[in-house]
Amino acid sequence: MKTKTLRRWNNALHRDIGYLAFGMTIIYALSGIILNHFKAGDFQHPDYRKQYGEFRVQPPTGGVADKTYALSVLNQVNEADEYKSLVTGKGYVQIFFTNGSVYMDLATGKAQLEKKTPRYLLKEFNLLHYNNIKNWFTWFSDLYAVALILLAFTGLFILRGRNGILGRGAWLTAAGILIPAIIILIYA
Amino acid sequence: MIKKLFPLLFLAMILAVGCNQGIKENAEEATADTVLLTVATFDTTASQYVDQPVWIDGTVFHTCKHGGKRMFLVDGNDSIMVEVTTGPDIVMFDEALVGSRVHLLGLLKEQRIDEKYLNDWEAQVNAPEENHDAGIHEGSTGHEDQPKEAKLNQINSLRNQLSESGKDHLSFYSIEAISFEVIQVDDEEIVIEEE
Repeated sequence: MKTKTLRRWNNALHRDIGYLAFGMTIIYALSGIILNHFKAGDFQHPDYRKQYGEFRVQPPTGGVADKTYALSVLNQVNEADEYKSLVTGKGYVQIFFTNGSVYMDLATGKAQLEKKTPRYLLKEFNLLHYNNIKNWFTWFSDLYAVALILLAFTGLFILRGRNGILGRGAWLTAAGILIPAIIILIYA
Repeated sequence: MIKKLFPLLFLAMILAVGCNQGIKENAEEATADTVLLTVATFDTTASQYVDQPVWIDGTVFHTCKHGGKRMFLVDGNDSIMVEVTTGPDIVMFDEALVGSRVHLLGLLKEQRIDEKYLNDWEAQVNAPEENHDAGIHEGSTGHEDQPKEAKLNQINSLRNQLSESGKDHLSFYSIEAISFEVIQVDDEEIVIEEE
């Protein structure tokens, strides 16, 4: 009877924490995929999708690039209306426009175009994943982490019988612990 | 009912945070005496204003892609870059700021690099999981993806600079942002105001 009451509480806790944690789980999971691939080098930037292209332009007269020259370069990629600024360096000029930039070698006229598109929503999710807000969000995300721990433990005791923690559940739980343990043993 | 609405309410909240990040216009910590520094003279004047609020104008050349916690300001060319880090009221510097001219208020910070710091940094670089916040950030394109060898070379170069300086530390200056606004520049003729 007592076990039955405990299980009822366990299942109710698992259900309600599950509802509450849904939003944050989706946020962390989606941004986790993005940051995972960013860290692996598959993405240039976690918040923006970037596309690259190459083209050639006539180097500026006297090797000095000014705004008029920058606009003529941007005109070739239909971005002249979006001009923001230009920065010069040793042998190059970088021309910025609203959604990207052109990096140009002043000696050869070889230009590299970078265009960026925001990953809407994922960008905001990444902001939370990185804990840029700090302060109160640190505690809020700690609370969410505690909720996940509770979900994990209460999840073990939802079912009785051969699919429960004393049956099939034991094998699956053991596998879920062994896999990261083996990875740690190999790489750490 | 509240529980049912929680995910939606939370989503609305984070969208609001996301939309309002970055650009702020308050300048509550500035006074009439707050000095306006320029990027061009930053290296030579910064030491006089450590831990004081300062204004600075510059073009955002680069923002850190690891969470946007720092950005670098230049003024027409890349010979001098001023590092700006996020303060308590600014959650990140969005990549969309790159190329924009900003008018920024911040606290001028000094980072002292001594032999112990370099030893700790070297240990960090050699550790399996490197901490990206360690070390000196230069702002040059691709510096965040520097291979281990390049970082060790940077550490050795700083060691040489330290021993040549005859001092027990090297000073690097940056600005911790309090607030900033994007300003419009009509043409590339940027007037640099002297102090």
